[in-house]
Amino acid sequence: MTFFDEQLKKGNFHICFCKNCNENLWPTKDICHICNEKTHWKESMNIGKIIEFSKKDSSYFGMVELDEKIRIMGKIFSKNQPEIGQIVIMKAFFDKRPQYSFTVKNN
Amino acid sequence: MNDVAIIGTGQTKFSKEEADIEKLLFESANNCIKSISNCSVKDIDGVLVSTNNNSKYMSAILSELLDIKPRIAHSIEHLCSSGTNAIISAYSYISSGLADIVLVSGVDSATNPGQILEWDRSRGNLEHPIYWASMLTKAHKRKFQTSEEELAIVSAKNHKHAMNNPHAYSNEPKTISEIMNSKQITDDLRIMDCSRSCSGSSSVILTSEKFAKKFSDNPIWISGIGQKTTSASFTKNNINEIQSTQIAANSAYKMAHILPNDIDVAEVHDAFSVCELMAISELGITSGENSGEFVRNLFNTEDKMVNPRGGLIGAGHPLGATGVSQVIEITNQLQGKSNKRQIDNARIGLIHNMSAAGTSSSVMVMKN
Repeated sequence: MTFFDEQLKKGNFHICFCKNCNENLWPTKDICHICNEKTHWKESMNIGKIIEFSKKDSSYFGMVELDEKIRIMGKIFSKNQPEIGQIVIMKAFFDKRPQYSFTVKNN
Repeated sequence: MNDVAIIGTGQTKFSKEEADIEKLLFESANNCIKSISNCSVKDIDGVLVSTNNNSKYMSAILSELLDIKPRIAHSIEHLCSSGTNAIISAYSYISSGLADIVLVSGVDSATNPGQILEWDRSRGNLEHPIYWASMLTKAHKRKFQTSEEELAIVSAKNHKHAMNNPHAYSNEPKTISEIMNSKQITDDLRIMDCSRSCSGSSSVILTSEKFAKKFSDNPIWISGIGQKTTSASFTKNNINEIQSTQIAANSAYKMAHILPNDIDVAEVHDAFSVCELMAISELGITSGENSGEFVRNLFNTEDKMVNPRGGLIGAGHPLGATGVSQVIEITNQLQGKSNKRQIDNARIGLIHNMSAAGTSSSVMVMKN
């Protein structure tokens, strides 16, 4: 299991980045493809905005862009219909594969 | 560089049932070889198999089943566009002189593992294609005010075309109303907006100018090829466009010295209804805002210019065979052999095949 997955199991979404290039790297990798230096990890702020969404059964889902400019997909929890650009708080975990969910802030 | 033509084609019927892929491969390849009256297995010096199946060494197995001992033999996997990529590889072998006559056989079974890209961790647990298709559909509705009816017309048109395709998994027509009332998968996707994973196989034989006239009175020439991969992760793409298609199409048009309005007939990758609307605009056949109206007009005037065999939605989608089947349709159209599906005076045809939510696209232009 990778460091990323291990941290997801603990509920932590870690951003892989290269100190040398000052770049976030997604998907995660051990070596920076630009400078070949070993990559590092930092915790995500877990805040993002909705890029697009839809609904399956009674649950919303969609694509969210995190503040670190990484886009991921997951369930969206919202009392009302979500809106494009709305700020969401992310929760991440791991159950056989990565899983992400987002709750609309100030909903 | 040698010019390259398609001189033989063979297919199995596509089916929703699980099937043995070795049997399917043999059937389509054997039909393909037999479609060329004076071609023997000894003439074939390349065998390429496109598949997403987990079985190993399929090109060697197919070669043994057919008693071919090729110079070049290997498998090609590129998810949904494996088929066209195998044909592009065959083209490269022949044009460079590394092979003279290449058999390309595409195959997959209904439960093949190529429908889900496990590697793409940005999709979280929403790994099934319905989720990215819902994102593309919602974005298209938002940007172009695309209606549910316009999406349903794509499916109705392609099911209608598939009625005249003996290899399609179903020949039943579907009305716009049936499609609009079919099972809702997500808020933006109904079951009849989706292509269906099928079992099936399709094969073609390609050769150079030197041999084409010996084996065929009516070879169909590959005059343009474009391939572009922008990423593997769906979320890295702009959901309002399929950039890989746009780039691949421009490369293919440039190589073939044509413009989009020169195309008489096109097979485009309608994995979901919205994909056809997006594809025809990225290919330059119409604009994004007019794509719904363009397809409505095709449907109302019974113009079969786009997806005459029924596309993926109407004919079914055995991943590794799909691109090969698209090429067979254009070959038959340009040979004037498409019977009830025939486009009058078709001279230039286009094939558009893509993978993983449009992260990779292949475009081919063919001429008679």
